[in-house]
Amino acid sequence: MVQLRRNALRRLPAFPFNGLRAGARALVLALGWVALGVVAGGSTASNGASSLTFEQHVRPILKAHCFDCHGEGDALRGGLDLRLRRFIEQGGESGPALVPGKPEASRIYEKVRSGEMPKRDRKLSEQEIDILKRWIQTGAVATRDEPANLSEGMQITPDERAHWAFLPLRQPPVPKIAGGRIRNSIDAFLAARHESQHLTFSGDAPPLTGVRRAFLDLWGLPPTPSDLEAYALDSSTNAYPRLLERLMQSPRYGERWARHWLDIAGYADSDGYTSDDSPRPYAYKYRDYVIRSLNRDLPFDRFVVEQLAGDELALTQHRDLETAAQDPIAHEWLAATGYLRMAADGTASAGVDQDTARNQVVADTLKIVSTSLLGLSIGCAQCHDHRYDPIPQADYYRLRAVFEPAYDWKNWRKPSERLISLFTAADRAKAAAVEDEASRLAKEKEAKQTEFIDAALRKHLEKFDSVLRDALWTAFKTPADQRTVEQKKLLSDHPSANISAGVLYQYDPKAADELKARDSKIAEVRARKPVEDFLSALTEPIGASPVTYRFHRGDPKQPREALLPATLSVLSSAGLSPDLPLPSESPPTSRRRLAFAKWVTSSSNPLLARIIVNRVWMHHFGRGLVGTPANFGLQGERPSHPELLDWLAAAFVAPLNADPDKLGLGWSLKRLNALIMTSTAFRQSSARDAAMEQRDPENRLYWRMPLQRLDAEAIRDSLLAVSGALNDRMFGPPVPVREDAVGQIIVGIDKKQGDNKMPVEVAMGGEEFRRSIYVEVRRSRPLAFLNTFDAPVMEVNCEQRTRSTVAPQALMLMNSDVALQQAQLFADRLRRDAGPFREARIARAWRLALGRPPSRDEYESALEFLDRQVAKITAQAVPQPDAAAKVPAVPAPSPEEQAIRSLCQTLLSSNEFLYLD
Amino acid sequence: MTPTSFYTRRQFLERNALGVGSVALACLLRNDGLLATPPAVPRTAQSFDLKPKISGSRGRARAMISLFMHGGPSHVDLFDPKPELSRRSGEDYSGEITFSFVDRASKKLFGSPWQFQQHGASGTAVSELLPHFARIVDDVCLIRSMHTDINGHEPSIWSMNTGRAQPGRPALGSWVTYALGNPSQDLPAYVVLTDPGGNPVDGARNWSNGWMPPLFQGTVVRSREPRILNLDSPPRLQGDLQRQNLQFLEKLNREHLARHPGESDLEARIASYELAAHMQLAAKEALDLSGESEATQKLYGLDDPITKEYGTRCLLARRLIERGVRFVQLFVNGQIWDNHENIRKGLADCCRKTDRPSAALVMDLKARGLLDTTIVHWGGEIGRLPVTENHGAAEKAGRDHNGQGFSTWLAGGGIRGGTVYGATDEFGHKAVEDRVSPNDYHATLLHLFGFDHSELAFHYNGQPQHLTDGKPSRVIHNLLA
Repeated sequence: MVQLRRNALRRLPAFPFNGLRAGARALVLALGWVALGVVAGGSTASNGASSLTFEQHVRPILKAHCFDCHGEGDALRGGLDLRLRRFIEQGGESGPALVPGKPEASRIYEKVRSGEMPKRDRKLSEQEIDILKRWIQTGAVATRDEPANLSEGMQITPDERAHWAFLPLRQPPVPKIAGGRIRNSIDAFLAARHESQHLTFSGDAPPLTGVRRAFLDLWGLPPTPSDLEAYALDSSTNAYPRLLERLMQSPRYGERWARHWLDIAGYADSDGYTSDDSPRPYAYKYRDYVIRSLNRDLPFDRFVVEQLAGDELALTQHRDLETAAQDPIAHEWLAATGYLRMAADGTASAGVDQDTARNQVVADTLKIVSTSLLGLSIGCAQCHDHRYDPIPQADYYRLRAVFEPAYDWKNWRKPSERLISLFTAADRAKAAAVEDEASRLAKEKEAKQTEFIDAALRKHLEKFDSVLRDALWTAFKTPADQRTVEQKKLLSDHPSANISAGVLYQYDPKAADELKARDSKIAEVRARKPVEDFLSALTEPIGASPVTYRFHRGDPKQPREALLPATLSVLSSAGLSPDLPLPSESPPTSRRRLAFAKWVTSSSNPLLARIIVNRVWMHHFGRGLVGTPANFGLQGERPSHPELLDWLAAAFVAPLNADPDKLGLGWSLKRLNALIMTSTAFRQSSARDAAMEQRDPENRLYWRMPLQRLDAEAIRDSLLAVSGALNDRMFGPPVPVREDAVGQIIVGIDKKQGDNKMPVEVAMGGEEFRRSIYVEVRRSRPLAFLNTFDAPVMEVNCEQRTRSTVAPQALMLMNSDVALQQAQLFADRLRRDAGPFREARIARAWRLALGRPPSRDEYESALEFLDRQVAKITAQAVPQPDAAAKVPAVPAPSPEEQAIRSLCQTLLSSNEFLYLD
Repeated sequence: MTPTSFYTRRQFLERNALGVGSVALACLLRNDGLLATPPAVPRTAQSFDLKPKISGSRGRARAMISLFMHGGPSHVDLFDPKPELSRRSGEDYSGEITFSFVDRASKKLFGSPWQFQQHGASGTAVSELLPHFARIVDDVCLIRSMHTDINGHEPSIWSMNTGRAQPGRPALGSWVTYALGNPSQDLPAYVVLTDPGGNPVDGARNWSNGWMPPLFQGTVVRSREPRILNLDSPPRLQGDLQRQNLQFLEKLNREHLARHPGESDLEARIASYELAAHMQLAAKEALDLSGESEATQKLYGLDDPITKEYGTRCLLARRLIERGVRFVQLFVNGQIWDNHENIRKGLADCCRKTDRPSAALVMDLKARGLLDTTIVHWGGEIGRLPVTENHGAAEKAGRDHNGQGFSTWLAGGGIRGGTVYGATDEFGHKAVEDRVSPNDYHATLLHLFGFDHSELAFHYNGQPQHLTDGKPSRVIHNLLA
């Protein structure tokens, strides 16, 4: 099925302007649906044709293909409404469309069979046509009583409201399962399913494997040998939970888990959208906010509220944003809204179509919000009612209205206009004083420049006869806009008399140098100015309350009715308005986002808890209980363990309570991590088992821990940690990236020189070895090492990472400068740590890289490998002609050192290093 | 690792097909995303591969070699004889001229110091500076009416190379690779051969994939080791050392796998190292000229120190095309064609370096039956002015930039040989007849490859993007055989 969807993607036709994302997704979903239909058909449609119903089988097809023109769209074509079986039978202007029992006599069937309908290019598939035919043949059954009246537009059916993800959260009872392997309720839910499938948990992974798993999971770094020894020596029964606690108290935890959230938030240090991809110098403050918040275990609901409405919170306590920014607490709230400033924003770039660019920022922001907080792909509803999920187009624009005061496309603020200054009054006074001095110097330079140009011209004019000389001089000194036609022609005929500041160097290099020196002096003075620091935040202009319109076909040039901010219709009880409660008086901000944030984190929204619990589960086990972590809609995957998911979600949001029977985690991510990581499910071995594999080949029921490849950042950070190079300095502006001589993106300061722009090496003083989360995320310059190992390029955001296995990864570890450098540093470290003897170095290398001593066999192979390398290196050591020419600054490493480096590189490329066992 | 332990590609894919997640499989099947960095995430909206965008090939051309001569080769001294310019040499030019270097600007016409003669059955007039080019004129279409209308190097390079006079768009090679896919099993589809003297102006941007995925980026075959990024073993591990490493790695990985029997991802990763090693050999083989006959080496001028370097790269280009590479672009170092001063010596030097190898490439491709399907392009981004750039003494004279008119030649892949297309004015300043813009040039190339420039689209920011950038562009049918 997955395969079918992928193939479908490849066949994508070109979609018109702006329709691509939504359109492509719609097609994928359509084919996904067909696939589902085929699979389901095995048990229902083809065997028991009589069980075909309007609600279950036919309406989804009609909704996907026909409702646009026949029921939900702005106009009802041919007077035919297909939303109810009754309406179909009743028909439109051409008469009844359905004759139960007689497909050939039913207009609806004939029109789609002949391909006349739907009018657009995408026709019904043969399976869909067949379902329609057999439904009519078997009497065109509808199982529910159809409503007497149906108002215009999209109607959400009871079946849709009953979709599992939209149902209120309840806490299912924990299955009563006895047995020593049940460590907590997670295990009970999983074991209950094991029983019926004749599966059992695997034995616990060996302790050292468990420790490595915990480190890489919580820190993204491997344990050191001393970590492992300390654990081995701890004989207390709660050594493992204590280890987890220790790991989560370390700042390394926030650095690891922030990366997960930054993926879905679409974190980037650049504006994207155009090829300029200009840097966002203050985006990192949001990254740092996320790290700090996770480290102090800010309750997740509060974390969400601050990100959606931190500015509104700040203005409940401070008179303006600048004042608020000086208060450490409100500063955090403002930094949190960086979440809403993550979408690409090309509105400051020259030459973009502003209407398109602005609306794209809004659309991308809504995608980030909806995929991260609602787990729905509402983007489809931007242009029309969602074809598969019960999301009317109006819902999309009601949600847009929540953000409209801050993102008003009619009164747009460019990225630089959205910054909040962190200058104090004293800073400002100092800056003004410095600027005064600089202006004075600039004026002096200006005068000097005129003097030089005049002198250069006088000298140049000496080559001309006196008449021409005077005429040229007069023409030149006449302001350009006051020159006569003759003067203009004269200057054009004698281009060399047109001396400007830019070409002065061609006439009088000394003068040009002096001007340059004056410029440097001015720059020096300006450099004394206190640097103005900023926060990048989402804020609203005071009193802003723009009207939001529904855009027909998603086109801003076709506004239709005005809409108020609201939640999703499908989540409000039928008949109740989903409008958000807003204050009647007008506070400094609209409070729309605050109201939305309160609703998102309330029990009225069952999606948030389910989504975040599923995400956390996914980061521990490699896949979620729901395999589509950002699509919990009708086209998303069903949960493999719905009761477990709901139990976890309910426990997550329940007030703190340690009693296992009334467990409440109080929105604490650390407690949720601990709960999952202390389960048998997590602690079991990853070993395979032929018998169980036959019953559950994909391990969907968690009878073993899945083996997982480390993600890109964990691989890079682990390399740095093992080699001893890791610089654990936290926070601050991103570590820059640059292009190397052949266009590969590496960590480094971008400095090029000469016409051919050859990169220049700039020493970075250890900054280059900081953790990957601090490396600049320039959308157009993805770091080659991370990119090769599937780190996302932030087009919008990353809902779920892929894990590929391709040859460039092998080449990266075999041959890249990064791999070679880390291998060398690792070898240097072995010499420092373990002394001159091979035996000790080998043992140390295994412990550092793999967290265990080498087996006897490995030990022998390593010795043998070193022998072979040394022999080969010695035999190959032919003096290099050009190496002999100059004395090398550093003596070449001995064959033994070189061999050890190879050993180190091999360990750092090994599967055991790259995978979490 | 013995050669027998290499899996064939098919085996490799089959093994992967059995076990690796379909996402990984999609990456593997991306017929040689294997060398270029694969796109990080197969995004919902687009998936990328190196499969052809149309089935079969409607076009004559299958590959292209671009000999990019950045700096501005002086068309009036090489390809575009101007008797009127010679006749009035020394007089003042009466028209408007835009200069880049005003201090040395002059309006004195500067007739070419070199003689032109007609060559071949077509009788194409060629400067005495290009005796080898003179031998292939019957296979070449000489365009004398190129124009970018911009005098600066970079914006004109961007126009010629990406379709717009701004940086940041995918290079022509990226488009060709995107359109045609990659038939090669072991080599990158888009190869750039840089000069040992250094990168061209604007560096790596010349082969940037812009906003296309990295899959479509040019792979630099450098003039020195390592030839291909991350492909060649580091100097420290030359010879058998890396093979020993890989053997040892495989041993460790096999033992690890024995503890995780049936774990297909681990198996796939073991195989990926084998494939990587295999690619190292394939690329080495392609870049090894020792099997070329003495006659061939001589044809390209490998026997002459002046032509040896450029000849080597031209010969490499042919070997790469033979092995299925789609697009090869050669650059020269810095701005050798930018003859502001002492053009008499500078231009002659450039020609000595490039003329024989460039002509040899066309002759060799033709002899091997590859010219029918391979487009060869020779040209820069601008031409030079018909007036003197004044450096005080006549022998120091040069020419300033001219984006208003210049010459370029094409051969092979469906180009009509023995033709001259378009013309500049009587002084060679501006293209006036049958003007060819960079976008026309691109539209014509895509046509030769079987694509309509207005249809071949890449979606970026939800909008279809075209190589010709929505500008008025025409396929120039008069160039086609």
